[in-house]
Amino acid sequence: MKRAAVIVFLVVVAIPLVLAMADLPPYGSPDSPAYTHVGSYYLEHGVEEAGAENIVTDVILNYRGFDTEGEVTVIFTAMAAVLAVLMVAGGGTAEARPLPTPPSVVVRFIVRVMAPLTLMFAAYVIMNGHITPGGGFQGGTVAGAVFIALTLVMTEHDVSHLIPHRPERVLQAAAPIVYCAVGLLGLTLFDVYLGYPRTEEMALLRTAMLVALEIGIGVGGATVIATIFRTMGSDQ
Amino acid sequence: MSKLFDLLLLLLLISCALAVVRMKDLLAATIVFSSYSLIMCLLWLLRGAPDVAMTEAAVGAGVTTILFLLAISRTTRYERK
Repeated sequence: MKRAAVIVFLVVVAIPLVLAMADLPPYGSPDSPAYTHVGSYYLEHGVEEAGAENIVTDVILNYRGFDTEGEVTVIFTAMAAVLAVLMVAGGGTAEARPLPTPPSVVVRFIVRVMAPLTLMFAAYVIMNGHITPGGGFQGGTVAGAVFIALTLVMTEHDVSHLIPHRPERVLQAAAPIVYCAVGLLGLTLFDVYLGYPRTEEMALLRTAMLVALEIGIGVGGATVIATIFRTMGSDQ
Repeated sequence: MSKLFDLLLLLLLISCALAVVRMKDLLAATIVFSSYSLIMCLLWLLRGAPDVAMTEAAVGAGVTTILFLLAISRTTRYERK
């Protein structure tokens, strides 16, 4: 009875959704709302006005810079919340956990060979975010994944050296800190928080600001992922 | 041809999503969920969004799966009734 009611309810919800789908513009249509408002302006003027050849970077770091600042703050706050919960909850469960099986030789070998290459790829994605697809978020996640892979094959003692202890707290907050620094730089030089130079002579400074943001987001993201993983996996 | 490929991917995507919800073995569900992310990543790529595809591959298929696995290793593998 309940099951039938659920099915009827789902069908009733699905019908208007499917009907609404028929009214959507076809995929890639130039008349779709995504292309008729600010989108076309960004595509036409983005490269010379915002300073990055990758339009996506133009939008997330320049045109929509405030949103991205909010986003990196949310990521940092989420990590703080996870740490707060795990550090309280992780108190008494240490004995219940079975001994971890040591990783196989194959896993160890592959991680050891791939880790430097993957880390280099992550650095490339971060530093080239203003030219090619990618950027701080993507590269940072890849770098964080490298840390996780290394944590799986290394001993607890070696892992603690992967991220230096004292600057760890600063590195976790790297993205919001760098964002504020670049924003204040814009405020002092161009009278607008997160303002970028618009003239051609200052193009180098503009690119430097974008790259600094990408590096900050990348380092912060990687550290946040590594920290969450270590806190979840650690025995304390 | 590409339409056929799209259709195949979408069907796989839906069956993965349904399988994740139905499965009682959480370990298997996590692995299927990571393949869901990989299919989603391919779809993003085919739609010309390499940025999103990279994020999906790294976060969806990589980091999220590992965090789920870690959570399972600290709790139980099978869903209780």
